[in-house]
Parts: sequence; C-alpha cells; structure tokens
Amino acid sequence: MTGGLLGRMIREEYRLHSELFGDRFAAFPVVVAALSGGGFWLLTLTDVGSGAVAGGLHALVFFFGLQVGSIGLVGRDALRDVLGDVTLLVFSARTLPVTWRRLLAVFLLKDLLYYSVLFLGPLAAGYAVFAAVTGVSAGSVGLLWLTTAVTFAYGAGASLTLAGVATRNRVARLALVAVLVTATAAAIAGRLDPVAYSPLAFQRSPSVATAIAGFGPALVLSVLGPLTFRPADGGAARTSPDRYSRVRDALRDRTGVATRSTLEVARSSGSVWKVLFSMGVLFGVTALLVREVGRVTALSPSPGIAFGTLLGLGAFTTYSWVTQFDDRREYRRYPLSMDAVFAGKRTAFLVLSLPAGLVYLALSLLWVPPVDVALGAVVFPLVALYVFGVTAYVTGLSPNELLFDTPRFVAFGAALALVTLPLVVAALAYSADPAMATGVAIGVAAVGAAVGLWLSARAGPRWQAAGR
Amino acid sequence: MPAIETNDLTKSYGDATALADLSLSVPEGELFGLLGPNGSGKTTTIEILTGQREPTSGSARVLDADPVADPIAVREAVGILPEREDPPSFLTPREYLQFVGDVRELPDIDERIDTWADRLGFRANLDTLSTDLSEGERQRVMLAQAFVHEPDLVFIDEPLVNLDPIMQAEVKDHLRDYCDRGNTLFLSTHFLEVAEQLCTGVAILRDGRLVAERDPRELGPDERLLDYFREEVHDDEGAIHEGEGTVRDDEGGAIHDNDATHGDDATVERRGDRP
Repeated sequence: MTGGLLGRMIREEYRLHSELFGDRFAAFPVVVAALSGGGFWLLTLTDVGSGAVAGGLHALVFFFGLQVGSIGLVGRDALRDVLGDVTLLVFSARTLPVTWRRLLAVFLLKDLLYYSVLFLGPLAAGYAVFAAVTGVSAGSVGLLWLTTAVTFAYGAGASLTLAGVATRNRVARLALVAVLVTATAAAIAGRLDPVAYSPLAFQRSPSVATAIAGFGPALVLSVLGPLTFRPADGGAARTSPDRYSRVRDALRDRTGVATRSTLEVARSSGSVWKVLFSMGVLFGVTALLVREVGRVTALSPSPGIAFGTLLGLGAFTTYSWVTQFDDRREYRRYPLSMDAVFAGKRTAFLVLSLPAGLVYLALSLLWVPPVDVALGAVVFPLVALYVFGVTAYVTGLSPNELLFDTPRFVAFGAALALVTLPLVVAALAYSADPAMATGVAIGVAAVGAAVGLWLSARAGPRWQAAGR
Repeated sequence: MPAIETNDLTKSYGDATALADLSLSVPEGELFGLLGPNGSGKTTTIEILTGQREPTSGSARVLDADPVADPIAVREAVGILPEREDPPSFLTPREYLQFVGDVRELPDIDERIDTWADRLGFRANLDTLSTDLSEGERQRVMLAQAFVHEPDLVFIDEPLVNLDPIMQAEVKDHLRDYCDRGNTLFLSTHFLEVAEQLCTGVAILRDGRLVAERDPRELGPDERLLDYFREEVHDDEGAIHEGEGTVRDDEGGAIHDNDATHGDDATVERRGDRP
C-alpha cells in the first residue's frame, strides 16, 4: 500500500506544479542545470576550490530542505489560502485507512525522490561543468548528487522534527531549545564540528565512519519527524484577545493590511520565530562560507558586507511569510488599491525582517569588528528593500509559486544577481581596499534600495491590472 | 434609476465565452436572483459588476458608477459575499471586521461589530480564531463583512450555504427586511427554493447567455421555478446543460473551473494570474 501511496503522491505533486505553471514547469530542470552550470563555471574563474563550492552547495540544499519540509504542513486552511481549493493526500488520514504517521513518512519520501530528480539532479549536472574544468573526478558528480539528496532529507527531516516537537508539550519544546542552544554554543566554541555530522563529511571523505556520522542525523530526523508530529486539527477552539487595535496603533497602519499580515505571521505555525530561524540558518551559512573562503584562499572577506548581503537576500523568506495567507481575489473585493496592499505588506515585511537581521548582526559582534558590523547594518536594510521590491514586482502576492515558474525564476534570479554580485565582489575585495569596497557596497546597496522602492511602487499597478 | 444596468456585457477567454451579450436592469429595492447551472456565467457576472474583472466588451453601471472605470468607487458603495470564501484563518471575527472597518474607513466599527455579531449570532465566537470556527460560523462572519458598512446594494454568491435551518430562516428574514428598506440585493444561487421564497425577480443564464427573466411572484399555483428552470437549461436530449468545460485563458495558467462537485460557477480560478 505504501508503494501505491508514494506513486500517487508523486503524481499529485507533479500535477499540482503543472496545473500552477503549465508547460513552463517542464523547462524548470533545464534552467536549474543551465544556471548552476553557468554559476559553477564562473566559480572556476576564481580561486574558490571544489571543497568550498561543495560546502556552499550543501548548505543551500539543507536550507531548501528546511523550506520544502514545512510547506505541506502549514495546515489545510493555510494551503488553501496559498493554492486555492487544494486537498492533498497527506491530509487524508481522516478519510483513508492510513495513519497520519505513515502518510507523513511517505510524504517525506516523496519530497526526497521528487526534488532529487527535478532539482538536485540538474544541480549535479551543472556541477559536472565545474568538475570537467577543474579536473575533479566524474565520480564526484554522482557523489555530490547522493550527498545533496541526503542533505535535503536532513533539512526536511529537521523542519518536520522541529514542527513535530513544537506540537508536543512545553517540556519537549524546552528540551529542543536546550539541545539547539548547547549545540550552537559548542560549535561556536569549536568543540563541535557540525560538518562532521552532515552528509558533507561523506562527500569530503567517503568511508563507513563518515557514512554513519554524516548520514545518521539525517536518517534519525527523517524518522523522528513523522513520529513526533501531531496534526493541529481538533482540540479546543483557540481564542485571542483583541490585538488588532494595539498593533495597528503601534504601526500607524491606516488600511490594516500591515496589521493583519503581522498578526497572521505571529499566530501561524512557528510564529515570529520562523523569521528568526530562517535568518539564523542563512547567518550560519554565511559565517561558514566567510570562514571557508578565508581559509582556502588568500582573500580576507568582509563579514559585515557578507552578512548584510545574505541576510538581506534571506528576507525573501519573510516576504513569503507575510504573503503566505493571501489571496489577491480577496483584496479585489475591497475598496482598496493594490498600491495600498503592497505598502502594507512592505511595512509588515520590514517590521519582521529588520529586527531579526539586526539581532544576528549584533551577535556577530562577538567575533567581527564593530566597524565591519556597522557596515553590514547599513547594507542589510538596503538590500532587504531591494529584495522586497523585486519580489513584489515579479511575484505579486504569490512568492511560493516562484520556484517552479521558470520565466519568473530566471527573472528573479537575474534581478537579485545584479545587486548581489557587486556586493560579493566588494566583500571579497575588502582587505585589498577597504575604503573602495565600503563605498561600492554602500553605493550598490543604496541604488538597489532606490530601485526596490521604485519596483514596489510599480507592483501595485502591475498586479492591479493582472487577472481582471 | 436602476441599481444595476448592463448592456451587451461579454467576457471571453481566448475562444471561450464565459458571458455573452448580457443586458440586464435591476431596479432599486429588488431582491434579484441570478440562476443557472454550473458554468453558466453567474460568478463572472458578479465579478464584472463589482469591478473584480473587466468585460471583453459591453458596459455596466452599478449605483450609477462604472465598475470598469472606477472599480474602487463601486466596491466602496456595495457589499460582496463571494461563494466559498472564509475569513482570514488567523484573525478572530472581531479583528477581521476591524480590518474591514479600516479598509472601508468606518469610524464606529466596534459598535457595528456588536450589532452584527448579535444579529447573526456569533457574539460568543468574536474572539475565536477563524480557523477554529465551524463552516456555518465562518459564513455568518462573511455575511457580516458584506453588510457591516450598510451598503445600498449587496452581491451575494450562495447566501445560505453551511447555515443551519434556524439561521437560514433568520438570514432570509434579514435579506427581505434589507430590501424592504429600499436596498437592493443581487443573489447568485443554485437553490431554486431560495429564489422562489425570496426573489422579486430572477434571470436564468445558460452558457453565459440570458435565456429568461421571471418574477417568481407571478408564477401560477401549479407552476414551480424548478420546472421553468428545467425548461430553459435542458438541452434537446433532456440533460441539464453544464457549460462548456475547462477553459484556459489567453494569458496562460488560468483555469475555467466548471467543477460541478463544488457547485462552482463559470468563474475563472486564476491562481497563476500573470500580468
């Protein structure tokens, strides 16, 4: 029965994507292969070694797994807000003779197989270009596919386990926080190497020992997730005192859009902590990348510019949260222009993302000079404004559909690269000419913010006209 | 002056026509019912009249405003209750109606919320997250948001869906009372008995075309609206005509949803709307 369910879930996922994006969806793997091939080829022109490239790739795939692992679990109501009238097989525990745990386990396996073929396969194909140019063995391409697939499972299993523990009692949640804090502290203190307990360890040095240590956590979390998760349906109806007036007054929100969006993020699964968490993952990845680049090259990158840039890019996930429950058809019923809707979304986006990013920049003061952190504190909000403008203009209120809509994905990626590439170069060149790098970083980020504001002003008319 | 007037209103998606040459006039104070099988163009009509969609050709006036040229003015003046739409999951009914009050710039929204919560019987649930309300309770909240600004004209797609029999009777009384006070209601419904009991005028659509107009009060003692409806929407073989099936619009990614199992209309579910 499990095999049949798995096949049906895979078909369901494919039909969902093809229904949303039509024929354009079929081009998505090709675009991923082309983009990653081009990106890896560009990296061959720098001093970045294959180890750093593989490290960065695994980090990104882990983050992707975290995102994908949670998307089907936001609840049927939220899913309907995002996708319309959609009921997925994963929600059929009440109507089919299948347990919730089995459904969830098969759902996870389906995600692993589906994304390994449609996303990680093309990514590995793109890596083949890098392997061919740098002389890395062809076998390493297959190895990379395997370890990124397990890394994806690691991320998806982790988000499922986090969500699962969050549905349990307070003691379980406190225990989880204690484990995370202890592990983070140990990693910062150098007593724990997180890479040694990730699939990247096997990719770097394939052996039985690294297979056990590297794949073990992914396996454990993939089992723990379905075991710990309990559906939110049922139970006593949740009540809430009137927070709307207080938040609206604090935000000086005339239309109520920012207030509503902020409350929706705060009350949905993960609350505002999901914003902090997703930024934290990017912060950690950036810290690792900066350290790796400094270790394997002669460069001494600016952590401030790197943090500011990557955290600003990471604000995309906040855009996703503040639009997660939106249906543009609803806003079309009100005497409200789409200009006003996007203005409200921008307020909510800034209210949630800026404090989260600034917390991590403040944390970086532990090992980054204050002047460099201050530079990051300037770059971060400017890049975030650019990300908001581009995302609002390109995707409207449906950023979650971005991933597989090939033309939009390409346009979005290209628009982000326009600002990101000069900032990355400025970060890498910082040690050679700090004044010049600082000027370039602030200048590019400021121009990006201005363009972002212009794009967000254009998003209203663009999406007002769409669909009428 | 009629509350609603349309002239040759047409909406096409590529080769498919969702609405064809619809000419209607709905006087003020009328409780008007738009009937038709799935896919006949009822929801498309409401969406055009409320400025949510633009017609391919033809014109319309709603409370003397043009829904194409000034959709915001129309939406300010009217109330809209779409079919199968819930209040936001993570707001309470009180907070959702406060949001509606902000959007509509209503200064006395708290008093209005109390009034409508009492009238539609959801005061006990005012502070419950909408995601935890029953379907009937959510429908009451949606009814309240359509009427909370006391508009002169309200568009309702299936007013009684998910309501228990007692609340159905109360809502029917409210709708009659609302029109008795000179206001206008434009109902789209599959329930012919609702149209028979409530409406002072009905129009029947088939395949986007107006095929009949009747005043249910003029039906003879042996006449039923159902018989009349059957006569107008059956094809020659005696089967109820259900529209033309799935249609994709010319922008790509748009689905013309004639899903009979949902009781949906010929609305275009444009999840992937792209400018």
